Amino acid sequence: MKRPALLLAVALLLFSFAIISYRIIWLKYPIFPAAPEKVWQLTMDAHVKGGEKETKVMIGVPYTHRGQIIAEERIRSGTLGFNLLREGPNQVGVWSGAISPSSEVIGYRATIKVQPPRPFKSKPPALELYPANIGEAEQILAKRLVGKWDPLPPADRLRRVAAAVKGIWGTPPPDVQDLQAWSAFHDKHGRVTAFLVLLRAAHLPARVVEGLELVESVATPTFVWIEVWTGQEWESIQPEKGEIYQKPVPLLPLTTDGLPAVRVLNGELSEIRWTLSREIITQWRMHFERIMRSDRFLDRWSLFRLPDDFQRTFRILLLVPMGALMICLLRNMVGFPTFGIFMPVLMALAFRNTGLLYGLGIFAGVVLIGYGVRRWINKLRLLLVPRLSVILTLVIIFFTVFALIGSKFGLRELMAVGLLPFVILTMTIERFFVITEEAGAREALWTAAGSAAVATITHEIIHLEPLQLTFFVYPELLFAVAAVQVLMGRYTGYRLSEFIRFRKLRGTS
Amino acid sequence: MILKAKRWLHEFGILGMNRRNAEYIMRFNPRSSFPMVDDKFMTKRLAEAYQIPTPPLYHVIEYHGDIAGLEKVLKGCQDFVIKPARGAGGSGILLIKDRQASGFVKPSGELISWTDLTYHIFDILSGIYSLEGLEDRALIETFIHPDPVFAAVTYYGVPDIRIVIYRGVPVMGMIRLPTSASDGKANLHRGAIGVGVDMRDGMTSTAVHRSMVITHHPDTGHPLDNIQVPYWKEMLHMAARTFDMTGLGYLGVDMVIDRERGPLLLELNARPGLQIQVANQKGLLKHLELIDKAPSAIFDSPEARVAWALETFSTRTLN
Repeated sequence: MKRPALLLAVALLLFSFAIISYRIIWLKYPIFPAAPEKVWQLTMDAHVKGGEKETKVMIGVPYTHRGQIIAEERIRSGTLGFNLLREGPNQVGVWSGAISPSSEVIGYRATIKVQPPRPFKSKPPALELYPANIGEAEQILAKRLVGKWDPLPPADRLRRVAAAVKGIWGTPPPDVQDLQAWSAFHDKHGRVTAFLVLLRAAHLPARVVEGLELVESVATPTFVWIEVWTGQEWESIQPEKGEIYQKPVPLLPLTTDGLPAVRVLNGELSEIRWTLSREIITQWRMHFERIMRSDRFLDRWSLFRLPDDFQRTFRILLLVPMGALMICLLRNMVGFPTFGIFMPVLMALAFRNTGLLYGLGIFAGVVLIGYGVRRWINKLRLLLVPRLSVILTLVIIFFTVFALIGSKFGLRELMAVGLLPFVILTMTIERFFVITEEAGAREALWTAAGSAAVATITHEIIHLEPLQLTFFVYPELLFAVAAVQVLMGRYTGYRLSEFIRFRKLRGTS
Repeated sequence: MILKAKRWLHEFGILGMNRRNAEYIMRFNPRSSFPMVDDKFMTKRLAEAYQIPTPPLYHVIEYHGDIAGLEKVLKGCQDFVIKPARGAGGSGILLIKDRQASGFVKPSGELISWTDLTYHIFDILSGIYSLEGLEDRALIETFIHPDPVFAAVTYYGVPDIRIVIYRGVPVMGMIRLPTSASDGKANLHRGAIGVGVDMRDGMTSTAVHRSMVITHHPDTGHPLDNIQVPYWKEMLHMAARTFDMTGLGYLGVDMVIDRERGPLLLELNARPGLQIQVANQKGLLKHLELIDKAPSAIFDSPEARVAWALETFSTRTLN
């Protein structure tokens, strides 16, 4: 007898969890869609002045990779065309077109989640050639300066080189002539090139990166730093100070491999402003856009593809089975008395518009006044259907009066009264009267209190925002809810209320 | 604490609402058989076929037009009862104990006019008292003059006897005594008293009123225990036969004892309440489990089932 129900419940649970796992593992959905997440909001605004020919603005923009996720990218291009291009390891936004006599405003905006990169195996990058304008003699000079560190492991070599760029050569110091030559070279080519040459001489793969510092700011300039491969990972070095950044590196690269972050052809950027700010969003929003663009079956059939106002309805609707589950629990395991089975769920749904307190107040008011009228109507001996119609009319009259009072005092909650389920209220008045007649006022009030309690609990559940979002992202959770409902249907144990009901037997045992 | 209470209820053999519904009603009472017991007129017809006595029927009113013939039918009746065929929980039952030139006298002494009486019948026909508000029939039956044995412990109205049968075997019985609070009705949730009856000898024992254990009738003040229920064994047999009649495995059988006619079947209930356990100070579950373990031979005839129950269930011997 119990087995088929159990099997069904297990099957429903497995089905539900299979789809959820598929979404999480293969489609990379967030496990806790409603959990808050700290992200960076990056914005770039620039004014472009045009030249005679077609103007082209190329700006490095971040893209999703191991260390970061980009979501909610927004482009502002005015009359210009926009394109996203790959250029080596970079992603470049290209704004192009003829610019009107005045100037054009272009913009870029993205939400970026920086993840601590998990350790992973990767091929060591190739050691590149010396920069083109470096002569052979200078190469030999650099090799002579750093050659004594060759036996050291890459990380130590890097530290020595970084110190050397600042002028600290350690002991024994290099030849005085070499130092003078190096100093001249440094002055001629600048700090960054000097750094690169020394790193190349020390057999350390390195690259130049341009980007932003990840700090909250209204306007951040881009700057250049050097990344050096130390055998396991890239280390970032501030070239001016020769400092190695601690992990996690507070930098947001825009372009690597020496590509300038911003390039303009046939025109001029009169102003460019980068802004970074910290924001907290739900995890779901990070994944929202990717899923909207995805072609996977489950993504295409996601509830997020519904128009906005229908989405709101479904957010609530998907939690109604949870409310029903609560009613199963409260009625069959606890033993709450309620008017009708799903009346509390409908009340809870209606309280959405009136608010809990007003909702319960109006509910109590209408039922009590309705009861008084029902008592009086009883003397008229009206037949069932016309009698219920009279009470229904009465309920609507109450609603109208409440709404008018609400409008007089500017109480929206009272004006929203019309959304209360009036049929349910009518039946409740009738049930309240019948229970009072048959089992006494105490029983009727008790049932009313039970209904109100269940409605309140249900209301609280279906208005839990994180729960709404979770069900919205994973609607297959409904199958899991059904599984629990099936199990509840096979609960044949005692109700909590029965401990009280049969307590009188106790003394005699 | 909850676990302790749970274990205690189980040890005591209390049948809970969930288990009653899932393991007994849903399992042994096919939905298709419910109309047989929900409609008192159908129950009556069936009972006749199985030689189970019921209160004699004077008249059935099915349509509003039928009321025209009522006056003629009631001509010779000094007292009678009007009840809805599909009424639940004793609602809609009108008792008339006497008639005078000005109208009809209710047991409470209240006088009602012919117009009021016909209104009441119209109410019944339109389904006011019926389950789910369906259209209904009005039955006009003999007025029951209860056996005087319960006179001392009856406020007014008619006490009735409830016997729960499981697979045709009587499980437990109780007497339901009307009080002033129940307005002469014998329904426990309306405030009637439930008095446990020993299965073997038909002696009343413990009593419950509004879920309180009591020893004396709250209106008359007479003790409720050690009253010998007349016709006890006969009623057990009647109850056992209703299983063959309906095929319903878990049934509450309600009977009355008329002064002249003896025990009569009043109605059957496919969802009998659990309060009988409090009246008897005893759980149903152990009895039900014993019946499931009983030798299959006992299920052959109503007589065998009653004999087995008398042998097995006795409040005094078990405690």
